[in-house]
Amino acid sequence: MNNVQILLRQHVGAPCEATVKAGDKVKKGTLIAAPTGLGANIFSSVYGTVTEVLDDRIVIKPDEKQKDEFVPIKEGSKLEMITSAGVVGMGGAGFPTAVKIKADLNGGYVLVNAAECEPGLKHNIIQIEENAEKTIRGLKYVMEISNAAKGVFAIKKKNEKAVSVLREAIKNESNITIHLLPDIYPMGEERAVVREVLGILLDPTQLPSAADAIVINVETLLRVAEAIEDKKPCFSKNVTVIGQLNDSNEPRVYMDVPVGTSVGDLIERAGGMREPVGEIVMGGPFTGKSTTLEDPITKTTGGIIPTIEFPDLHGANVGLLVCACGGSEDRMREICAKMNGKVVSVARCKQAAEMKNGALKCENPGNCPGQAAKCLQFKKDGAEYIIIGNCSDCSNTVMGSAPKMKLKVFHMTDHIMRTIGHPLYRRLTVSKQVDQLPNGK
Amino acid sequence: MSITAETAQAHANDPAVLCCRAEAGITIEAANLEDPAIFDDLVDSGLLTLDGALTIGQVLGAKLTKTCDSLCPLTADVLEGVKEAAKPAALESAKTEETPAPAPVAQVAGGTASGVLKIHIGEGKDIDLEIPVGALGGGTAVAEIPAGAATGVAGATAQVPAEEKVVRTLTKKHFTITEVKRGPETKIEGTTLYIREGIEKDCIDNQELVHDFKIEIITPDLYHTYSETVMDVQPIATKEGDAELGSGVTRTLDGVVMMLTGTDDDGVQIGEFGSSEGYLDENIMWGRPGAPDKGEIFIKAQATIQAKTNMERRGPLAAHTAFDIVTQEIRLALKELDESLVTSTEEFKQVRRPGKKKVVIVKEIMGQGAMHDNLVLPVEPIGVLGAHPNVDLGNVPVVVSPLEVLDGCIHALTCIGPASKEMSRHYWREPLVLEALHDTEIDLCGVVFVGSPQINAEKFYVSKRVGYTVEAMDVDGAFVTTEGFGNNHIDFASHIEQIGMRGIPVVGMSFCAVQGALVVGNKYMTHMVDNNKSEAGIENEVLACNTLCTEDALRAIAMLKANMSGEDVKAAEKKWNPNVKSTNLELISNVTGEKITLVDNEQSLPMSKKRKEKYS
Repeated sequence: MNNVQILLRQHVGAPCEATVKAGDKVKKGTLIAAPTGLGANIFSSVYGTVTEVLDDRIVIKPDEKQKDEFVPIKEGSKLEMITSAGVVGMGGAGFPTAVKIKADLNGGYVLVNAAECEPGLKHNIIQIEENAEKTIRGLKYVMEISNAAKGVFAIKKKNEKAVSVLREAIKNESNITIHLLPDIYPMGEERAVVREVLGILLDPTQLPSAADAIVINVETLLRVAEAIEDKKPCFSKNVTVIGQLNDSNEPRVYMDVPVGTSVGDLIERAGGMREPVGEIVMGGPFTGKSTTLEDPITKTTGGIIPTIEFPDLHGANVGLLVCACGGSEDRMREICAKMNGKVVSVARCKQAAEMKNGALKCENPGNCPGQAAKCLQFKKDGAEYIIIGNCSDCSNTVMGSAPKMKLKVFHMTDHIMRTIGHPLYRRLTVSKQVDQLPNGK
Repeated sequence: MSITAETAQAHANDPAVLCCRAEAGITIEAANLEDPAIFDDLVDSGLLTLDGALTIGQVLGAKLTKTCDSLCPLTADVLEGVKEAAKPAALESAKTEETPAPAPVAQVAGGTASGVLKIHIGEGKDIDLEIPVGALGGGTAVAEIPAGAATGVAGATAQVPAEEKVVRTLTKKHFTITEVKRGPETKIEGTTLYIREGIEKDCIDNQELVHDFKIEIITPDLYHTYSETVMDVQPIATKEGDAELGSGVTRTLDGVVMMLTGTDDDGVQIGEFGSSEGYLDENIMWGRPGAPDKGEIFIKAQATIQAKTNMERRGPLAAHTAFDIVTQEIRLALKELDESLVTSTEEFKQVRRPGKKKVVIVKEIMGQGAMHDNLVLPVEPIGVLGAHPNVDLGNVPVVVSPLEVLDGCIHALTCIGPASKEMSRHYWREPLVLEALHDTEIDLCGVVFVGSPQINAEKFYVSKRVGYTVEAMDVDGAFVTTEGFGNNHIDFASHIEQIGMRGIPVVGMSFCAVQGALVVGNKYMTHMVDNNKSEAGIENEVLACNTLCTEDALRAIAMLKANMSGEDVKAAEKKWNPNVKSTNLELISNVTGEKITLVDNEQSLPMSKKRKEKYS
């Protein structure tokens, strides 16, 4: 087993401070770093020896033999145990869960984000199919802690098996229902979940608490249940590996991957990459970033995707349509560079509002504000190609004008979609409306 | 892109087009609709046809019965609950306003239309203007002009003065010249003007930088003569007695103009963006305020200045100063002429009209240095003596009376961009000043000349002074004109901004069209008149072709009146469209009852080789 590298910052907030030093022996579940401000405890995911404590990570050489048992966290109240276990939002944001749920929702809602909106990722849905009971118990703990009267699973209707498992599991739960989502990106955006389920459109600066709700990822609930029931610290992550792999491009879902495992190890476990590879993406196709074989898995890693090679634009002029729903401008520029294009124009979707931290949030996720003016800009700036990072609806709008202007359209996820055999994001052919289950059951 | 409820309100009568895919069953709201501001571009790009589209006002609140994609015009067959077409608001306003209008006015209002003049600058790059008269988009002529304005137009002659005040007068006595000859001394005998032989040497000796100086007399039969680029066209005029510029009596010669041309020692034309060298008859736009009229005799000088000084201020200034030696001798002769030789007399009154809308004309003149300078307020009309170069004055605003303008207070050294620059003669017969002075509905309080410095910091220094100058005048409206295009548009835009931000309605005038499209813009540049006359919308290097003419002045005045009366400016076409101008003039003509004949453009001239090669 190769060294594991455990990053000191795996969550929203400040980096943690190491509580171990080189040479220390650690066990699975040994606390190795503690928060200095907003943050969450970090634990060793293996038995082994600390070889290095760097500015941003702790490197541990695992022992040859690894046991399943782990160092349990201290007994305490449910909230204390979640805090101790270092649970963070596993959907990708990494907000410390104990901080999020330490709220009084006044009989409001806990909305379970089971949208698994990033195409290609499967570990959330598989988790529901295989472990619905424990997930539901996690939901109940969160509802109890946050004084919520109702719990709602928000899940895409297309996941028929998971939906039927859930229906069976909640049939006797009077305060838990299911809200079906259309198969549109980005239904899993936090505010999109609130809007779809509760019919309330929050401002980009508002948190779901403004609607007496919290939105919590389905895997996070599992980790909550593990902390409370099993006293298990949070040191593992469910991950989907998909893409340019030797065996096939089918998704492999790995449950409880030790945090700190390298991307390369996980890809080896999935049978290795099939060369040539364009890039390796960590996260989902829309919001993920390029990574390397050496980078480690964190508490928020959802997907590892080696992709096919990029098309070569031979230096052609390219316009970038940056959107809150997709990659940042930097990521878009990176993709353009990898396609050998020359950025001549950059536009931002009208609805992409810039937050104080520089991140973009969509004012109304999944509902397009129109893109024709942006296409006119690209045309005027001499773009021959455009690369867009838009949601399903906005991509559809772009397709309504760009091709007629002789702008050739790429979506920033194209190379990934081609790799995994998923339809490209272009025209929208499905409805944004889905029929709901009777009484949410 | 999707619009807000306010935008939807403002565009209630524009076509409704979906900005994005919308599914059957939704209720149409503003957020579903594309911004009408980009329709022109979309139509141009073939992305949109507006056939059969309902208006935004009609579709808001209606239910979509069919899933439609982005850029789909909303038509009756995909909607339920469409509102009735809004009655043209204009119709109603005509009804409610009929009371104060006397009978003839009511006829004008009801019979034709009103004066919403409108222009729009899309991000400061293109200009167009439009005077929608009648129902918006309806095509039927319906009055929308406020009763007051209509009254003014129709009752102009009836309602006039009582309170009019004549501040001062300027009399121009015209003498006619039918022949120009060389002779032993400069003198005028009857209608024959003699120019002293050998005067050229005096001109050369007077100016160190002038290395050669030739004079040619160009009579109409010699119009097809090759000439170097025309640097200036000047009337010959002089003050009588002790009269100061802008008042008293000015004597002037008809039938003859002074024309300065030149190159440097290396044969480089004294010009920057283009030059008008070539056969005179192919490169002069006859009859422009700043150009010769057909039939006039030119006293044409060709100055050769020191090499490389063609792009320095001192080079052209030396040529002008040398040339004025010739003109000054003629002025002295003119002073001596017997009163009996006066062939016509013009009287210009500077009239103030208290109670009318008070307006000011801000004329931006070049002051970048190099050849871009103007001599301000000489002793003699278009003289040199006593004048101060605009650049030396720091380009700051200088207030002059309208009569000083018409009496030649600007000696123009702007010998470049031939089609769009104002020659000295232009000011002598400046159309906007003349029209504004004569318009009984407005009170022209003065003319402000402001230079266009080279450096941006200086540009904003002077434009701020313009703002305060105009603020202190307490005017109801302002015109800002400029000559040339490009660099000077920066200050032009800034002048408009400085005036506009003080809440004063302002109309801008410039050559823009295609080649002179504005490089800058701001939110106050909503009322613009394009001085272009050229067929292709370009600097065609034909002398004075694209300068401000009466037809432009009339549009600007109508536009400022509309602006001052608070009438809306409708969004205009994105691309330069010459038809907007003719439509607007027709609408003005409908109101005033006077036919406005458009001036010719370069197409009326014999095609020069240069024009053929470069521009066709």
